[in-house]
Amino acid sequence: MEPILKTENLWKVYRQGKVDVPALRGVSIDIMPGEFVSIMGPSGCGKSTMLHVIGGLAQATRGRVLLDGNDLTTMSDSARTLLRRHKVGFVFQRFNLLPTLDAYHNITLAQHIHGNGFDPHRFEVVAGLLGLSGRLKHKPSELSGGEQQRVALARAIVSEPKIVLADEPTGNLDTKSSEAVLGLLRQLNRDLGQTIVMITHNPEAAAYGHRILHMRDGEVVDGSTVH
Amino acid sequence: MIRHMIVQNVLHRPLRTLITVLAVAIEVTLVIIVVGLTSGLLAESAKRIEGVGADIMVQPPSASVFMAFSGAPMPIAIAGKLEQLEYVQAVAPVLLQFNSTGLEIVYGIQQDSFKAVTGGFVFHEGHDLEQPNDIIVDDVYSKSKKIKLGQTVKILEHEFHVVGIVEHGKGARLFVFMSTLQDMAGARDKASVFFIKCDRTDHTVAVMDEIRQLLPRYEIRPLKDFISLMTSSNLPGLGAFINVMIGIAVVIGFLVIFLSMYTTIIERTREIGVLKALGASKPYIVQIILSETTLLCLAGVVGGIGLSYLMRAIFIKLFPTLTILITAPWILRAGLIAVVGGLLGAAYPAWMASRKDPVEALSYE
Repeated sequence: MEPILKTENLWKVYRQGKVDVPALRGVSIDIMPGEFVSIMGPSGCGKSTMLHVIGGLAQATRGRVLLDGNDLTTMSDSARTLLRRHKVGFVFQRFNLLPTLDAYHNITLAQHIHGNGFDPHRFEVVAGLLGLSGRLKHKPSELSGGEQQRVALARAIVSEPKIVLADEPTGNLDTKSSEAVLGLLRQLNRDLGQTIVMITHNPEAAAYGHRILHMRDGEVVDGSTVH
Repeated sequence: MIRHMIVQNVLHRPLRTLITVLAVAIEVTLVIIVVGLTSGLLAESAKRIEGVGADIMVQPPSASVFMAFSGAPMPIAIAGKLEQLEYVQAVAPVLLQFNSTGLEIVYGIQQDSFKAVTGGFVFHEGHDLEQPNDIIVDDVYSKSKKIKLGQTVKILEHEFHVVGIVEHGKGARLFVFMSTLQDMAGARDKASVFFIKCDRTDHTVAVMDEIRQLLPRYEIRPLKDFISLMTSSNLPGLGAFINVMIGIAVVIGFLVIFLSMYTTIIERTREIGVLKALGASKPYIVQIILSETTLLCLAGVVGGIGLSYLMRAIFIKLFPTLTILITAPWILRAGLIAVVGGLLGAAYPAWMASRKDPVEALSYE
């Protein structure tokens, strides 16, 4: 089976004044379809940069990123936008819901941008799975942190992306809400076969994945399988 | 979906929305009222000139169609020559003076000749001019200035005694003896315009041809075309004035929309990052910003139209002699100016939003 995501000798170097600061130093990983992979590491180790590059939000300096067979490193900005639209779902630490829209419209916004129109069946499945059916008319300011992250999860998966990239999805949640969100991520992975890459610095959260990649100083230093 | 998002965005900051809409409304009102005021004054003035009832108007060479701005009076003796022309029934010489303090024209008339051309005044109160310092005012002037019969009024730094209040529509609102006005203006035996009544209307062209031979360089105009001549483009500077006012209105709208959308974009940086992460293209983001601007502008246009009618009602209440012409073509034009100006104002913020780096936008605090 071909990996859904593959990076080869991936480098990302930021220019700060006259100094080059490497955030990724030759990262090579394979993520298989249906995998739930956690990436762990201390602050500043390059986890978020890794997520931005493999999600097509930032361009790599060197190396290759193959997402569902598409090489992101050779793509134009608009081509990467198109790829994000159709193949990637993002979940952020700070939920990043649009404050002016209620939960329903925050979720359907992704379908609208996706361009295939509103799919009521998919919407029902996702809203039901994430327990949002009774909260759809509420705006983000009227939802708890856990509920907001569930809406963000729904938005990420409603357009059936090839991969979900979650950046510290429990970083702003209390323990109970964190467990709920992590349980949902696992459920999405198990029930819908959703490929998930999650960044976290919390070992307990990381343990929800099938595999944990450890990063330090812009490199993947260790990969372990969770049993 | 996008419509819902735009409406919600607009409603999210009600005060900013209100100020933006109000600014656009003021822009629209400014255009409609300035144009309405100038065209209203011109149309009303033309109507009054037509109301004189003459068939032909003769003015000095190069005189403006706007008589208030005409100088160089002609020798009154010309009237005698004009009266002798075939088909001419009556000639009424009139001396004009522009009263800058009240922004109105005073007609210096010879009562008999003026009556022969116009058919005479319709008196609401009072009688004809009898004494050198007598003045006749029309009913609109009397009502707006609250002037009563028998009252003394100061016009052109001269005190006049109001002896008659007449129906409006005979060329001016104020009428005095021509000899009095000639003395005041230092224009003895001079007239600014000759109104000519033909024995039959269909002789107008023939009489005009006769006058052209008699007075080759003079301005000879048939009065039935007068309204069509009274446009801003025929008055030097008026077209430019209107354009400047419209320009100022557009700049106001442009700057307000620019500022409003610019602050909106800054405030929504993170949201733009989210849209980009979801795969929204640059045109999609530009479309959102410009649609939002269009909505604000359209609300401003509707408000502006309402405000224009309100302003007109207030102006007319305060200054009954004013005519403000609000026309559908200018409402449409003002609306278009506001929307185009607004879209231009939003163009840079929209472009800026579409080019935001998604990673930087998502980490914006």
